[in-house]
Amino acid sequence: MDKSRRSFLKKTGAGVALFTVAPRTAFGKMGGDNSYIAPSDQLTRGIIGVGGIGNSSSHFVSDQHCRLVALCDVDSEHLENTFAKAKDRLGVTPRKYHDWRDLVHDPDVDIVHIATPPHWHGIMACEAANAGKDIFCEKPMTRTIGEGKRVKEAVKRNGSIFRLNTWFRFKDTFYGLGTTVEPLKKLVASGALGWPLTVRISGATGFTWKFYWTGKENLVPEPVPACLDYDMWLGPAPFKPYNRHRTHATFRGYWDYDGGGLGDMGQHYIDPVQYLLGKDDEFPVKVEIDAPQQHPDAIGIWRSITYTYADGCKIILEGEGFESKGKVPYIEGPLGKVFKGFECTIPDVMDLINSLPDPEPTNTDFLDCVRTRRRFSLNEDNGYHSATIVNMGVCALRLGRNLEFDPVTQQFIGDPAANLLIDQPMRGEWGNYLK
Amino acid sequence: MKKAFSIIVCALALSLSVFAQDSRGRSTDTIVGDVLARMPEALASDLQSDMLDLAAAAPESVVKLAAMLVDPSEGENSRVEYALNGLANFANAPGNEQYRAKVIEGFDKAIANGSNEVITAFLKTLRASFEEPVPEEVAPAPSKAAARLAFNESKGDARARCEALYGLEQAYGSVPESFVLASVADPSRKVRGTALRRYAPATDDFATKLARKFKRMSPEAKVDVVNWLGDNHIASQLQLILSCFASSDDALCSSAIEAAGKIGGDDAADALIGMLGNNKLGDKALKALMSYPAPLGEKVEAAMQDATGEKLEKLAQIAGSKNLVNCADKVLEMAAGGSEAALKALGNIAREDDAPAIAKLLDQAPEGSIDLCAKAFDKALSHFTPNTIYATVMGCMDNSVNKERFYPALASSGIDAAVSELSSAAKKGSKAAVKALGNTANPKVIPTLKEIAFSEHDMDALSDYVRKINIYETNGDKKCDALALALEESTDVELSKRILKLLPNTPTSKAFYVAASKLGDSKCKFQAADAVRQIASKCKDDLDISKRNEVLNEAIAVYQSRGGADDGYAVDEIKKLIAESREPSPIFTLSKEEAAQGFEMLFDGTSLSKWTGNTEGYRITNNEIYVTAGYGSGGNLYTQKEYRDFVFRFEFSFVRPGANNGVGVRTPQGVDAAYDGMCEVQILDHDNPIYAGWLQPWQVHGSVYGIVPAKRIAHKAPGEWSEEEIRVVGDHVTVTVNGEVIADCDIREACQGHNVSPDANVKNPYTADHKDHPGMFNEKGYVGFLGHGPGVKFRNVRILDLGEKSKKKFAR
Repeated sequence: MDKSRRSFLKKTGAGVALFTVAPRTAFGKMGGDNSYIAPSDQLTRGIIGVGGIGNSSSHFVSDQHCRLVALCDVDSEHLENTFAKAKDRLGVTPRKYHDWRDLVHDPDVDIVHIATPPHWHGIMACEAANAGKDIFCEKPMTRTIGEGKRVKEAVKRNGSIFRLNTWFRFKDTFYGLGTTVEPLKKLVASGALGWPLTVRISGATGFTWKFYWTGKENLVPEPVPACLDYDMWLGPAPFKPYNRHRTHATFRGYWDYDGGGLGDMGQHYIDPVQYLLGKDDEFPVKVEIDAPQQHPDAIGIWRSITYTYADGCKIILEGEGFESKGKVPYIEGPLGKVFKGFECTIPDVMDLINSLPDPEPTNTDFLDCVRTRRRFSLNEDNGYHSATIVNMGVCALRLGRNLEFDPVTQQFIGDPAANLLIDQPMRGEWGNYLK
Repeated sequence: MKKAFSIIVCALALSLSVFAQDSRGRSTDTIVGDVLARMPEALASDLQSDMLDLAAAAPESVVKLAAMLVDPSEGENSRVEYALNGLANFANAPGNEQYRAKVIEGFDKAIANGSNEVITAFLKTLRASFEEPVPEEVAPAPSKAAARLAFNESKGDARARCEALYGLEQAYGSVPESFVLASVADPSRKVRGTALRRYAPATDDFATKLARKFKRMSPEAKVDVVNWLGDNHIASQLQLILSCFASSDDALCSSAIEAAGKIGGDDAADALIGMLGNNKLGDKALKALMSYPAPLGEKVEAAMQDATGEKLEKLAQIAGSKNLVNCADKVLEMAAGGSEAALKALGNIAREDDAPAIAKLLDQAPEGSIDLCAKAFDKALSHFTPNTIYATVMGCMDNSVNKERFYPALASSGIDAAVSELSSAAKKGSKAAVKALGNTANPKVIPTLKEIAFSEHDMDALSDYVRKINIYETNGDKKCDALALALEESTDVELSKRILKLLPNTPTSKAFYVAASKLGDSKCKFQAADAVRQIASKCKDDLDISKRNEVLNEAIAVYQSRGGADDGYAVDEIKKLIAESREPSPIFTLSKEEAAQGFEMLFDGTSLSKWTGNTEGYRITNNEIYVTAGYGSGGNLYTQKEYRDFVFRFEFSFVRPGANNGVGVRTPQGVDAAYDGMCEVQILDHDNPIYAGWLQPWQVHGSVYGIVPAKRIAHKAPGEWSEEEIRVVGDHVTVTVNGEVIADCDIREACQGHNVSPDANVKNPYTADHKDHPGMFNEKGYVGFLGHGPGVKFRNVRILDLGEKSKKKFAR
């Protein structure tokens, strides 16, 4: 695309948008989904991190609604491979970037898709927001509570649209539940289960915590492959000698970059629970753990993590191999229980659920949100809350103790060492981007 | 690792330096060594006490631990890292302030001593956990004047204007309304959206101000405002929203519909119902009514009275989705008139009394709506008991020309009579009956499904058969056998994949090899690899190690061919399984002593040539006999020779909890040795909780079953081997386990000569189990292992034939 024209469109965007309303409607009438979309109405996207999820079939796409215009990776092999793939399979020639800041500041990029390991998410999201971009961020939202808070503010300050990429609160069968979250949301909101509720996210209720996402101790330093800019891969993380297990695909096992199975799956599983408990604006006040001693670098397993809200609602995570025995409810209240596969102690529960109003609709089309500037269903605010639940658990595991949390100050109570984990130091100058 | 560590400990122990001692008199070196040996701790309480020891010995403990760290290229640090990290976390925890200074001192010293960059960086990280958190630097709020200026200067730059609004909020606490109103009129949608979403007060007052400007707004801005009114449930502006229903701008009308649905109220409901017939936006109105926050029953019923066409169809849809049973009459009438929406709705709201009418609809339905009718019928029947369902449906079928259409309803009764009815129809070739059997919640459908699946290679039936087996077959081995057979039969890739996923739930060698046979099948090799990996990790004992590892290596190749992240973990897991493979048992030979005494080797690990009977269920694996045979005459393995007096020696090992077997003595083949043989000497993992509370003393391991109890012994851990000797001389039986005699008795004396009840009574008062033991006085017979399910292994089996003449005790 012609860069100068693009820039022109940007500068005068509002006026042009008014202009194009009539023709777009006209085209829309003619031809459904494949209707012609003027290039000026197309959105554009750049992906940072194309070695893993960024290169997956659901994300490595380009169409007339949103064109893929830029790729970034610190591994030149990943970058070249995906560039070739973009040309061959998508028929586009995106710009290639080594330094993500160049992609973020590319005026032709509307949407920054952050698909790196989590230790980069906060920095990149802040910088993208400050550059006036909209953001599509993979889970977990951020690796620390403090980074989440900064992202939330930066997105607000710049008027950006932010989408956290997990989706079970609004679509798809929710693991052990055997249905979408919607009927459970209706049931919970009706009060038929009573209050407070306890939700158990466990193998016994149909969730696996992927304990193979653990790290290895005693990593032996290895030479850094020529294709990898390891310093830039580490970025804000403390320097540790390279070993392949730290990086591509297995980084989840190290505290410096993620939080193991809890970090990887936590927000997937917990965000819908936060939604169905109606706690998008709250935080748990307590996190209690039962876990073996943790290594300072390599993430290990845990037996259980229990979060408690001020009103007594609980979210209990049970580690693989440490599940409650017998028939365990996924959600339990004083008046009823719901088990895996939506088995319920309330008779004719589906009739009851049908008769209740559906949950209020939310905006689940990200591109539409970008166009109409409406808030996405899972955004920087509720996403920050569910990411914080995960990160509270991570803090407790790392310290090997239970923690209490003050939802107002968003700090741990009476535990300075725990609060140090909320805002962790960043290597080099990277901390400056977190604003 | 362990070796390297013990060298360190030895070196420490030898060191002559003397340090402070703790209350137990241990030196710091000993404390450090003790703690290191326990790293990492599994339990928080143990960790606490370890760290208390280390903290009390700080700063020396820290310095000593830190000195053990080596460059990661030269050795392993993990235990020391666990210890130091644990100690830092202990000392930085609330309540442990008294240890803090000493521990910090230790870290400071260690850092000062350090010369290796990586090690020092690690120590500094731990040291940093004691720092006071620095309060977040909050940028000072701009002055009100500066914020206003920034706003004015941001005109035309959407991002800057958003930031200016943020600045105004900082300066004023909340953005003054005039700025929000100005921004809502901004040409940039980004600014409008941000101003409304972030900074507009959700008050009636502000909404009124917006409403006053509404007419003059651009179409897009109107949409933004209506969206905002709906998102914030501003009921006072409902009329404004409803007025947009008449707009020719579809986008505005659509937003208004959504907003009205969110706000609710009678007027909104009426207006939304009014929109249901709209060509373009009827669906949108329907969706809004689905989440309409109040009951709709009366309104929908009333509207149905005079609605027609698309609107009436949508009303029926609402009646169904929202379970509006009060609308059922009208809906039934519509269904009779051919409305699909109404039929579908009946699936949720059909009443008991509607059953006959719906049965008629079902009988006469055109092809395309049979399923919907069947569901509606099902709903009407759901109010009945199973027996009434059966009777009702059979009645309907009598009068029906399309009997097969009633099979699903018959299935829903679930009762045995329905199963027989459907089975006979299925065997006569009705596919509908086969399908209905698959939907019948009754285990009795299994034989028919099996017959049809295998004789007709019917993959649908096979799939149902697999589902039923998975639900109803409680015996793991039988389930595995059934699944294995089904997998061999399956020509449906999806079904094969499903079976491969189920196989690890019954982790037997059979399951393993059946799964392995699919590793070469390109369509399901990944599922096969998952299955063999999972089975191998659960089933360690009845698999031949070298064959198992061969298969596992094949599975590695399959995973590597795909090469994803999870595949890497799977490969690691398999490699670990292979690395941890135990050694097979050795090939046994007779000791010199036994050879001299005349013992004969019956099983040395290589062959069962000296045995007869069920050599399938007593499989040689890893030079051991692994038993899978079940109870009954076919479950036994016998010597080829008969014996009278003998010494029978063998080793046994339990690999499944609660395993059960027995040694038959002087028994004919193919009978129950405990009764028709001289006796059975029990082999049982009697400590398993499944036996708690009911196991009789004469059933514990080593007992002469039903006749004489043995001394109850504690068995070795699963997988470990025990030695047993059974000596039979005349009527005398002696059982010795691991050198301890646990039964030593004359069984004729034990029942006072009454092996059978003297008065032909059912109960024999003379035997411990009150049963007759007609074979007890057999003069000779075979020795055998008596199957009672899988989970026990035997090896090194040998026998000394004492000959028929031996009446004396054999000298030990």
